[in-house]
Amino acid sequence: MIFEPIDIEISKLSCERDDRLLFQSLSMTLNSGQILRVAGPNGAGKTTLLRTIAGLFDIQTGTIRTNQLPLKECLGQILYIGHKPQVNRDLTVLDNLKFLTGSDDDHLKRALRDVGLNGYHDSLVKELSQGQGRRCALARLWCVETPIWILDEPYTALDVEMVKTLDARIASHSAAGGICLFTTHQPPQSLKYATLELGHVT
Amino acid sequence: MSLERRMLIRELKLIIARPGDIIKPMWFLVLVVSMVPLALVPDSDLLSDIGSAMIWVATLLALLLNTEHLFQSDFSDGVLEQWLFLNRPLAWLVGLKLIAHWLFHVLPLILITPIAGIMLSVPMEVLLALLVTLVIATPALTCFSGLGAALTLGSSRSGILGVLVMMPLFVPVVILAAGVLIRAMDGSDTLPLLALLGAFSVVAATLVPIAVSAAIRLNIGGSN
Repeated sequence: MIFEPIDIEISKLSCERDDRLLFQSLSMTLNSGQILRVAGPNGAGKTTLLRTIAGLFDIQTGTIRTNQLPLKECLGQILYIGHKPQVNRDLTVLDNLKFLTGSDDDHLKRALRDVGLNGYHDSLVKELSQGQGRRCALARLWCVETPIWILDEPYTALDVEMVKTLDARIASHSAAGGICLFTTHQPPQSLKYATLELGHVT
Repeated sequence: MSLERRMLIRELKLIIARPGDIIKPMWFLVLVVSMVPLALVPDSDLLSDIGSAMIWVATLLALLLNTEHLFQSDFSDGVLEQWLFLNRPLAWLVGLKLIAHWLFHVLPLILITPIAGIMLSVPMEVLLALLVTLVIATPALTCFSGLGAALTLGSSRSGILGVLVMMPLFVPVVILAAGVLIRAMDGSDTLPLLALLGAFSVVAATLVPIAVSAAIRLNIGGSN
């Protein structure tokens, strides 16, 4: 599928947390098909920036508009995967994904096969390893049709093969006209992306 | 499948996965009701006088016990922040969660109160009034303690704090319910007080989800 053209326009965004200025007058426009890696040392405000764009943090100064609309009206177009597991440990892999995505069983099983969790449909998330739990959360990328992806450290705990699979998925999302923002400390090798360096504010 | 159905099914599956969540408060209720008579003068008149009030308070405490962590696990798993992306008003989702909680956690508590009543030889007509007041008042109590839980999500020792914050809102509900029970014992008309209790629940059920959603937003905004 191909997404409708979409853009995110960020202008003069500044953020201060606990009396520390994280970024100031940040302006940029993201268009369909763009992949942006937000880089910077620990504490540079990468997560804060992603969570602000995802609408989880209030904007302190500046504006974020998606297709000319204020952020609050576009939350349904965003898929956000953060540090937290995003899944309940006491439920099965399939039940967790069914609640979050609303997809049908066949669709979800295909997504789980794509992320290498074939045969784990009915396992409880607490029985999975760290990396498998991460794969379970990431399986949503294979079964929802959301144009904007915001992924905070998606590569954490993934093995080499899964990293490649994820790179390929992000590339195909971009080819379909979606936007992807992510942070990572291990720059992906097989993916073309732009980089935004944070952490130069003094 | 609609989001609303998915949410109810998820709550049901969570209970099946963690049956302790509903069994513990029921166990607490039974324990209070069976221990107090042992500590009192063994007199069945006394018991049937105070029994209904005792069951009412024990149910309230059991309800607080299973509501204090209402949003905690979803919050720390990061599932709660996903609610913001579900294309529905947050207050509506909160309302659903509260309804599910009442149906699956509070209703079972109410259903065992007749057994407690029989244990304390509470007269039949008072027992009936007790059941009716609980059914009418618990939606308000669930909402209030849910609000306490949402307000204290970010703090580490949230349980007791949430209860303390919400205490002033519990008081009128308890007073009205006690009024109904006293009137039921006299055999006088309980309808006006029941109507007031019902009004309390209706107002709570309409307004509290809005307050809870604001509290949740506040806590999500303050965490990573």
